[in-house]
Amino acid sequence: MSNGPASSSIANQSEPPHRVMEQAAEWYAVLSSEDATKQEYADWRAWLESDPTHRKAWGYVESISHRFEPLQTTTAPRQTAEGLWQANTRLIQRRRVLASIAILVGTGLVGWGTWRHTPLPLLARAWQADYDTATGETRELTLSDGSRIWLNTATALSQTYDTHKRHLNLLKGEIFISTAADPSRPFTVDTPQGRLKALGTRFTVRLDGEQTLLAVYEGAVQTRTRLGKISTLEAGQQVRFSSEAVNTVEAAQATREAWTRGVLVAQDITLREVVAELRRYRHGHLGLAPEVANLRVFGNFPLTNIDKTLEMLADTLPVRIHRLLPWWVSIEPQKD
Amino acid sequence: MPANNVTPQQIDILYTDHHGWLNAWLYKRLGNTHDAADLAQDVFLRLILKPAPRGFINASEARAYLRTVANGMCINLWHRREIEQAWLDTLATQPEAFAPSAERQAIILEALYEVSTMLLALPTKVARAFLLIEACQMGQKEVAQELGVSTRMVRKYLAQAMLECMQLEARQTAADLLTLSEPD
Repeated sequence: MSNGPASSSIANQSEPPHRVMEQAAEWYAVLSSEDATKQEYADWRAWLESDPTHRKAWGYVESISHRFEPLQTTTAPRQTAEGLWQANTRLIQRRRVLASIAILVGTGLVGWGTWRHTPLPLLARAWQADYDTATGETRELTLSDGSRIWLNTATALSQTYDTHKRHLNLLKGEIFISTAADPSRPFTVDTPQGRLKALGTRFTVRLDGEQTLLAVYEGAVQTRTRLGKISTLEAGQQVRFSSEAVNTVEAAQATREAWTRGVLVAQDITLREVVAELRRYRHGHLGLAPEVANLRVFGNFPLTNIDKTLEMLADTLPVRIHRLLPWWVSIEPQKD
Repeated sequence: MPANNVTPQQIDILYTDHHGWLNAWLYKRLGNTHDAADLAQDVFLRLILKPAPRGFINASEARAYLRTVANGMCINLWHRREIEQAWLDTLATQPEAFAPSAERQAIILEALYEVSTMLLALPTKVARAFLLIEACQMGQKEVAQELGVSTRMVRKYLAQAMLECMQLEARQTAADLLTLSEPD
């Protein structure tokens, strides 16, 4: 019933028979040898001209070879080819991971809810991670070069170190880095929005929705967004950037790095900001009544014990903590 | 709906009825509003450029079709991102003075994507031999040495690689002529 004009033109289209395609592929293999002889070239020409389907099949050979041409003209074709090879290896690995996730889902080992609510790339990324932390967990690592990394709550990180480079890929969450000096190997961090190059330094990288937040406490960090916008951030500065745009540079909040010690330092920030931060460390619902969202908060709060932090907030602010269920907590104005 | 090509008016109706739903579906899959919005537009654009062979009987058939097209686009997007990242990594190791122009880079990226797609369909050693010969213009003997196989074997790999790519290309041409297949 759906026989349109397109399918009838398919019928008229004569593709070279399989045998001819095979011959063309074999001629390609013979002629691409550095030892191909004049006689072989002459035989190939005779084959080519003996039948229109031979020409057609050879047309495919040419169009396929043609696709490689732009790669041959890059500055370092071998390097370009190796990059492509590694990308393909990762793609194949990811396919395997996705296939195995599908099996787990099928056998019910992964909760359907988790699977359904996690975007596929995030899930695939988390499975690639070399290091990760659960919600509410923080972790400190010392890498082989002596660089120290702190992983904040719900973070995933993968690492590529070799003789030429030290490279981290932040897949989700937040890290604080104190790099060890190694002039021969640059230290880079990738986020979905771009690449950061450390110039001997201490800094924080955090993924925030579709933006990366970078705060530099010592040294400097060069950023390059996915679209190629390059800028350098000095100590004491912080900036947010997306794949396309870099926001204005602000003063870095020195207190932000306190999470590496398990502490949230609030110096005149709103309760809304505090709660947004606490939500990252805790599963379940943490609600905030709009009437109290703009209260100013001062103090040091433990990130390792969020219930304790909530109690402390209730002690110092005109708020009360309402626990409807263990995982459903909301912060409301104190009753008069 | 009549059983012939989707008309512009029908595309308008499809867009009104399903764009929001498709956007939400893509967002769940990609976890990114920009990508979801871009791909949703691309799906409808594709419907305009390459109309479905016939109209849809009901809304659920239309959604099944849109989902099939959108799913293919998601997979392509992840593939392209991976290729793009590999290329950026390669560029990052070279002095900036050597960086090709933006137009040139676009051509290279497209070629990398096409070559990557071809190689993914091949067995590892076959793909590797093909890449070294074609992209790096190495000799067959050199490749044989690198892969630790005979030159005869390299020649066999090359014929196999070329044949599989030719068949892929022939099928692609046929598929393009057939326009889009029906939803599953």
